[in-house]
Amino acid sequence: MKRTGLVFLIVILSLVSLLGTSSGQGTATYAPENLFGAHRVELASIQVAYLKEASPEKEEVEPADSSGETVPDPLEPLNRAFFEFNDRLYFWVLKPVATGYKTVVPEEVRVCTRNFFHNLAFPVRFVNNLFQGKFFGAFEETCGFLVNSVVGLGGLADIATAVDLKRHEEDLGQTLAVYGSGPAFYIHWPFFGPSTLRDTIGMVGDGFLDPVSYLGTYWYAPGARAFNVVNETSLRIGDYESLKKAALDPYVALRDAYYQNRLSKIKE
Amino acid sequence: MQRGSVVRVVSIAMLVLSWAVPVWAGVPTEKVKETADKIIAIVSDPSLKEPAKEAQRRERIRRTVDEMCDWEEMSRRSLGRHWAQRSEQEKKEFVHLFGQLLERTYVDKVEGYSGEKVNYVGERIDGDYAEVDVKVVTKKNTEIPVMYKLRTRDQKWWVYDMVIEGVSLVNNYRTQFSDILAKSSYEGLVKKLREKVTE
Repeated sequence: MKRTGLVFLIVILSLVSLLGTSSGQGTATYAPENLFGAHRVELASIQVAYLKEASPEKEEVEPADSSGETVPDPLEPLNRAFFEFNDRLYFWVLKPVATGYKTVVPEEVRVCTRNFFHNLAFPVRFVNNLFQGKFFGAFEETCGFLVNSVVGLGGLADIATAVDLKRHEEDLGQTLAVYGSGPAFYIHWPFFGPSTLRDTIGMVGDGFLDPVSYLGTYWYAPGARAFNVVNETSLRIGDYESLKKAALDPYVALRDAYYQNRLSKIKE
Repeated sequence: MQRGSVVRVVSIAMLVLSWAVPVWAGVPTEKVKETADKIIAIVSDPSLKEPAKEAQRRERIRRTVDEMCDWEEMSRRSLGRHWAQRSEQEKKEFVHLFGQLLERTYVDKVEGYSGEKVNYVGERIDGDYAEVDVKVVTKKNTEIPVMYKLRTRDQKWWVYDMVIEGVSLVNNYRTQFSDILAKSSYEGLVKKLREKVTE
C-alpha cells in the first residue's frame, strides 16, 4: 500500500517535471527527422482542406496553408488562469533561478547536462519507436545511446549527432496518435504548461520508462527533474519572451504553437 | 546530314524548353540564401555592432527582410476568410501594421544571431509555389528546422510563410486573429495590432 502510494507520487511528480520542461518556452526544441515524409502528408491534407474551403471567387489553384486546424479548448477559462500562473512562475521564479545558474555554470557544462538527460531518457524513445513500427528509428536510437554512453562518457557528450546518427524523438503521446487517438482537448497545466489530454496520458506512461523516475526515493527524482528544467531554461532564456512579444494573444499563440509542433512530430 | 538534323532537333528542343521554363523563375533557395547571407553579414559587421548603431543596423536588416517577404500575402493568409470582407483601405492599413509586427519579430530574432550555421537541406518547386528547407544549427547543439514557403509575384520569389519546428507563422497568427475576431471585432483586432506595434 505504502509502495503503491510512493509509485503514484513519483508518477505525478515526474509528470509535473516532464511537463515543466515545456513550460516557459516558446516551442519545444527537439531534433527533427524526416521533414520530407512529414511534408507529403501535410501537402495532401492541405490540398483536401483547400478544396473544401475554396471560395468561388478565388479560383487560383494554390497549395493553401494547412486547414486552420485547431485544438478544442473547452477548458479555456481555467487554462487561461493556469497560463497566467505559469507566466508569473516563469518571470518570478524559474527565470531568476535559471539566470543565476547560467552566470555560475558555463554553457559547455549546461549543454553536457542537457545531453546527459537526453541520453538517459533513451528507453522512452526506444519503446515508442518500436510501438510505432519504426524499427530503424529504434535501431538508430540504440546506436546513439550506446555511442553516447560509452564514447560520450555516460551521455555527457553527444557523439551520436557528431557522427550523423539521427534522433528519433518519439513519445507515448505520438504513439497514441499513430494508433488513431485524437488530442481530445487542450490542457494548460499549472507548472507543466501546454499539453492535451492524450499527451498528458502519454507523459504519465513515459514516466515509467524514464530512468530518472527510479532514482531512489522521495525527492531525488523530482529534484533531478527540477534541475533538468532549470538547466534547460538556462539554455533558452528569451524564447518565451519573444513569443510573448510577437503575439497578440500569448495564450492562443502558445496553444497553437504547441499543437502545430505536436502535429508535425506525429507526422514524422 | 544526319548530324545536322540532330543538332537542329536538339536546338529546337532547347528553345522550347527555355520557353517552358520561365527565365525569371530563378531558384527559391537562392532567394532565401541571398537574404540570409545579407542579414548574417549585417549582424556580424563589427562596424555596426556598437549600441549607437543599433537603429541603423535594425533598419538595414528591415530593408533586407522587406526584399524577401510578401507582407500582403502573409496578411491575406493570416486573416483567412476575413480578408475578402475588408475594404482596400483597411487591407492597406492591415498589411502595414502586421508587416511592422512581423518585421520587428524577425529583426529581434536575427539580432540574437551568434554564429549559428544555416544549412540548406531541400527544396521543392510546384509551379508558382516552392518550399525551402533549412536547418539552423545552434552552438548549443540543437537543430532548428525552418521551412520557407515561397510563391512568385512579379516574376520574383517571395516568402509568404515560415514554418519553424512545424509551427507555421501564418497559421499561428491566423488562429490568434480568428480568436480575437470571434470574441470582439475587426476594429478590436486592429486596435490590438496597433498597440502591439507601438509597445
